[in-house]
Amino acid sequence: MSAPRTIPADVLTSISANSRWQRFPLIFGVVGVVCLAAAFGLSASTVERFHFSYLVAYMYGLSLALGALFFVIVQFLTKAGWSVVVRRVAENMMGTLPLFAILFVPVAIGLHHTHHHWWHLVPGKDPILDAKAPYLNPTFFFARAILYLVIWTLLSQAFLRRSVAQDQSGNPEETRRQQWMAPPALGLYALTVTFAAVDWMKSLDPHWFSTIWGVYYFAGSVVALFAMLSLLVLWLQRDGFIRKIVNQEHYHDLGKLLFGFVIFWSYIAFSQYFLIWYANLPEETIWYAHRSHGGWESMGLMLVIGHFAIPFFFLLPRAMKRNPVTLAAGAGWLLWVHYLDLYYLIMPVHSTGGPQPSIVDLLTLFGVVACFLAAFAFLAKRSALVPVKDPRLAESLAFENL
Amino acid sequence: MNRPYGALAEFKSAAEIFHACEKVRDAQYRRWDAHTPFPVHGLDRAMGLPRSKLPIFVCIAGLTGVAAGMTMQWWMSAVDYRVIIAAKPFFSWQAFIPVTFEVMILFSAACAVFGMLFINRLPQWHHSLLKSERFRRASDDRFFICIEAQDAKFDPEQTVQFLKGLGAASVELVEE
Amino acid sequence: MVAQAHPEPLDRRVPLVDPPATIQQITESVAAPMEWKAPLGWWLFLAGSLSCLGIWLGSVGYLFWTGTGVWGVNNPVGWGFDIVNFVWWVGIGHAGTLISAVLFLFRQKWRTSINRFSEAMTLFAVVCALSFPTIHIGRAWLLYWVMPIPNQMAVWPNFRSPLLWDVFAVSVYGSVSALFWFVGLIPDLATMRDRATKKWQQLFYGVLALGWRSSHRHWQHYEVAYLLLAGLATPLVLSVHSVVSFDFAVSQIPGWHTTIFPPYFVAGAIFSGFGMVMTLMIIARSIFKLEHLVTRHHIENMAKVTLLTGSLVGYAYAMEFFVAWYSGNPYERFTFINRMFGPYWWAYWSMIFCNVVVPQALWFQSVRRNLGVLFVISILVNVGMWFERYVIVLTLARDTLPSSWGSYSPTIFDFSTYLGTFGIFFTFFTLFVRFLPMVAIAEVKAVLPEANPHHDDGHHAAHGGH
Repeated sequence: MSAPRTIPADVLTSISANSRWQRFPLIFGVVGVVCLAAAFGLSASTVERFHFSYLVAYMYGLSLALGALFFVIVQFLTKAGWSVVVRRVAENMMGTLPLFAILFVPVAIGLHHTHHHWWHLVPGKDPILDAKAPYLNPTFFFARAILYLVIWTLLSQAFLRRSVAQDQSGNPEETRRQQWMAPPALGLYALTVTFAAVDWMKSLDPHWFSTIWGVYYFAGSVVALFAMLSLLVLWLQRDGFIRKIVNQEHYHDLGKLLFGFVIFWSYIAFSQYFLIWYANLPEETIWYAHRSHGGWESMGLMLVIGHFAIPFFFLLPRAMKRNPVTLAAGAGWLLWVHYLDLYYLIMPVHSTGGPQPSIVDLLTLFGVVACFLAAFAFLAKRSALVPVKDPRLAESLAFENL
Repeated sequence: MNRPYGALAEFKSAAEIFHACEKVRDAQYRRWDAHTPFPVHGLDRAMGLPRSKLPIFVCIAGLTGVAAGMTMQWWMSAVDYRVIIAAKPFFSWQAFIPVTFEVMILFSAACAVFGMLFINRLPQWHHSLLKSERFRRASDDRFFICIEAQDAKFDPEQTVQFLKGLGAASVELVEE
Repeated sequence: MVAQAHPEPLDRRVPLVDPPATIQQITESVAAPMEWKAPLGWWLFLAGSLSCLGIWLGSVGYLFWTGTGVWGVNNPVGWGFDIVNFVWWVGIGHAGTLISAVLFLFRQKWRTSINRFSEAMTLFAVVCALSFPTIHIGRAWLLYWVMPIPNQMAVWPNFRSPLLWDVFAVSVYGSVSALFWFVGLIPDLATMRDRATKKWQQLFYGVLALGWRSSHRHWQHYEVAYLLLAGLATPLVLSVHSVVSFDFAVSQIPGWHTTIFPPYFVAGAIFSGFGMVMTLMIIARSIFKLEHLVTRHHIENMAKVTLLTGSLVGYAYAMEFFVAWYSGNPYERFTFINRMFGPYWWAYWSMIFCNVVVPQALWFQSVRRNLGVLFVISILVNVGMWFERYVIVLTLARDTLPSSWGSYSPTIFDFSTYLGTFGIFFTFFTLFVRFLPMVAIAEVKAVLPEANPHHDDGHHAAHGGH
C-alpha cells in the first residue's frame, strides 16, 4: 500500500524530443489561423455574423484560460497538496492568456457590429443609454479591455514563471511567494473577470442588467477548466507522459470538482432565471423573452438537460469519476455544452429569430481552440509537465481519496 | 464458564491492528470484527469487507423525495384547490423547485442516517462485548479484534493462540 | 502585506494537536469539562442565560396576549426586527454546517477540533431563528396552517411564496443538522458511556450511544453515511440561505430585487457564522483548557475564512452599487443614495465599517494570531451583519412611491425579544458544554499522525494536519 513519494525513474515528466507534441504548436497554430481565415472568408457578405461567432468562440477560449488562472491561484491560497501533479498543466493553460490579448484584436475590430446598440450612440435618443454613457463609451471600453488583458497577463506570468523557476532551483521561497500573492490575485481576478463579462457580453443588450452576471461567467469557466484539465491530463498520459503519478485518486478529485462546479453553475443560472421570472419586470424579462421563441427556447431546455441533468447523474457515481474513459467522456460533453451556453448568451442578440447555426460558428470555435492548444503545447514543451521540485509533490504523489 | 461469545484480542496502535486484521482475513475467519476508537484508514481492505450499499439507497430516497415534493405541490396547487397568485401559472414548477429540493434533501438524509443505523442493527443496547471491562478502552485508545465462537474455525485454545501470535497485548475469552 | 512571521514548513502540515497528545489524552481533555465539578462561573452563566430566556418568555407572552402591535412594524415597514433577527440567526447557523460538511468534503482536517462546537451553535441558532416566524404571524396557534396538512380552512399552503419555502428550508435544515450532529456524536457518547461512573451518566450516555461498540463493520457504513450527509448538507446550506434571500429578491422592490442575492446571502451567512464561532471558541478553549486541540492555527484558519467571505460580501456590495448605477433605473439609483445619506445613514455606515473596513485587519498575520483583537473583530462582524439586514429591511421606508414613505422605530419589545433569543441560545449552549463533548473526540483522534496505520512506514509528508 505504499505509494511513491518521489517520481519513479520510468515516468516521463517532460515532452520528449520525438513526441508528436513537439509539432503541435505549429500544427495547431496553422489549423487555428486557417479556420479563422476561412470563417472570415465564408462570411464576407455578413461580416456582422462573423464577429458574433468570433465573440462566442473568443469568450469560450478565454474561459479556459481564466478558469485555469483561478485554479492555480486557489491551489496556492489553500496550500493544497493533492493537486501538485496536475497543477503544471493548469499553469500552462493559464499561460496562454497573452495569446488572448492578441486574439482580442478581431473582437475589438468587430465591436461596432456586436455592440451596435450603443457603440455609435446619438445622445438624446435613448435616456437609458445616455444614463450609462459615462461607462459605455468606446474610449473607456477600450481602456478597460486593455486593463483586463494586462492584469491577466501579469498575474498568469507571475505565477507561471515562479513555478517553472522552482523546477531548476527547488527553492521553497517560490512557493511562499505564490502563496503570498494568491489573496490579492484572487481579488483582482474577481473584479477583472466580472467587468470583462459585463463589458464584452452583458452590454450586448445594454438596457438589461443582472448583478450575478460576473459570477455566471466565472462558474461556466470553472466547469470548462476542470473539463479541459481532465482531458489534457488524460491526453498527455495517453501519449506516454506523467503516467502512474497521476492516477485514479487525482481523476477522482478532478471529477468531484467538475461535478461540484456543474452544480454551482446550475445554481447560479437558476438564481438569475428564477428571480427574473418571479418578479416579472419587463425590463428584465426581455432578455429571457428574446431567448424563448424561434428555437432559442429549445436551446435553453437543452442547457438545463445537458449542462445540469445529464452531467449530474453521469458524474454522480464514484466509479465514473475514477475511470479515465468515463471521466473523459463527461469532460468532453461538458466542454461542448459550455460552448452552447455561451452561444445562448451571445447569439440571440444577432439571430433574433432563432438560432441559425452555420459552418462559421464551428470554424471560429475550432480556430480559437486550436490557437489555444498551440499556445498550450508551446508552453508544455518549455518546462516539465509536473512541478518536479514542488515541496508538496510527495503529498500529491501519495494522496488517496476516501 | 459457559460457551464464550468469542476471543477478544487487544492491540495498542492502529498500525498493529491493521496488520493483525490482514492476517485474520487471510486465515479465512468469517465471523469476526475489529473495534477501534476511530475509523482506521484502509481497514476495510485489511478486513476484506465489500463496499457499503448505502449510497444506492440514499440515491433512490432522493429521487423519491423529488417526485414526492413536486407531486405534492402540483396536486395541491394545480389540482385540488387552485388559487390565482400573482397571475403565475397553477403549476408554477419554477416556484416549486425550492420546496422540491428541500424535500429531496430531507428524504436522502433520513435514509442515510436511519439506513446506516438499520444496516448496523443499531440501537443494540445489550451486547456481550459491552460487558467486558477491558473492552471499555475500545472507545478510548485501544484496538480490539474479536473472533466470534460461532465462526466455523473457532477453537477456544487455537484461536486464542493465533491471536496471541499476532502481537496482541492481551487476549481474553468473552462470556456470552 | 506583512511577510509571515511564523513561516509554515511547506513539505509537511502544521500539527493539529499542539503540544502533541496521545489518543488517551485527547479523551481526557475533552471529557474533563463534563466530569469536573461544575465551577461557579458555569452556574452564574446558566443563571444569566435563564434570565434572558425568562425575558424572552415574558416578551413573547405579552406579544401573544396583545398582538404584533407591541412591535414597531407598521405600514410601509411591515418587516422589522422580526425578519432581521430571523435572517441574522439563520445566517450564524450556516458556519457550523460549513465547517462540518464543506470543510469535510475539502478534506480540511483542521475542522475536527471545532466542528462539534460549531454544529451545536448551528442547531441552537436555528432554534432561535425559527422562533421568529413562529411568533410573528399574529395568531401563533394557527402556525400549523403553513404545513401541507388538511386544516379547517380547507386551503393548502401557498407554495408560490418564498415565506413558505423558508418554512421548508429552515425546518429541513434544522432536522438534517440535528441528524448530522447526532450521528457525529454517537461514537463520543459511547466514549462517555464507557467512562461513566454515576448511574444517571451511564443511563444518559448509554441510551443515546445506541449501544455503539466501535465495530469497524459499523464504522464502514458510518463513514459512508457521514460522507453522504456532508454531501447533502453542502447544497442544503447553500439552498437555505438562498431561499432566505428569495424573501427579498423575488419582490419588485429596488434594492431587494437583484440576482446576486442568493450567493451574496450565503457568503454573508458564513461570514457572520465564522464570526460567532470565533467569538465563542476564543473564550471556550481557554476556559475548558482545550488550547492544544483548538490551536492558534485553527483560529488563524477561521480568521482567513472570515476574510474570504467578508471579501465576497464586499464584492456583492460593489456589484449591487455598480449595477444600480449601470441600470439607469432612477429608483435603483435612489435606493443606494438613500441608504448612504438618507435618514438611516448611520445604519449603512455602521455596516460598511464593520463588514468592509474592520475585516481588512485580517490581512495581517499578527492580527490573525492575536486572540484579543480577533475577539473584537468577530463581534463587530456580527454587528455589521445585523446592520446589513437592517439596512435591507429599511428600504421599505423609502420605496418607489414617495406618498407611501414612512419610518421605523423599534419598540422595547423588539429589543427584549431579540435579547431573549440570546437567552435561548446561551441556555442551550451552557448545557451543551457541560453534558456533551464539545470537541469531536473520535474525529480528532483520527487525524493524529499515529492514527495512520502506515505512520511508521515513513509517510510523514503525506499525512498529518491541515
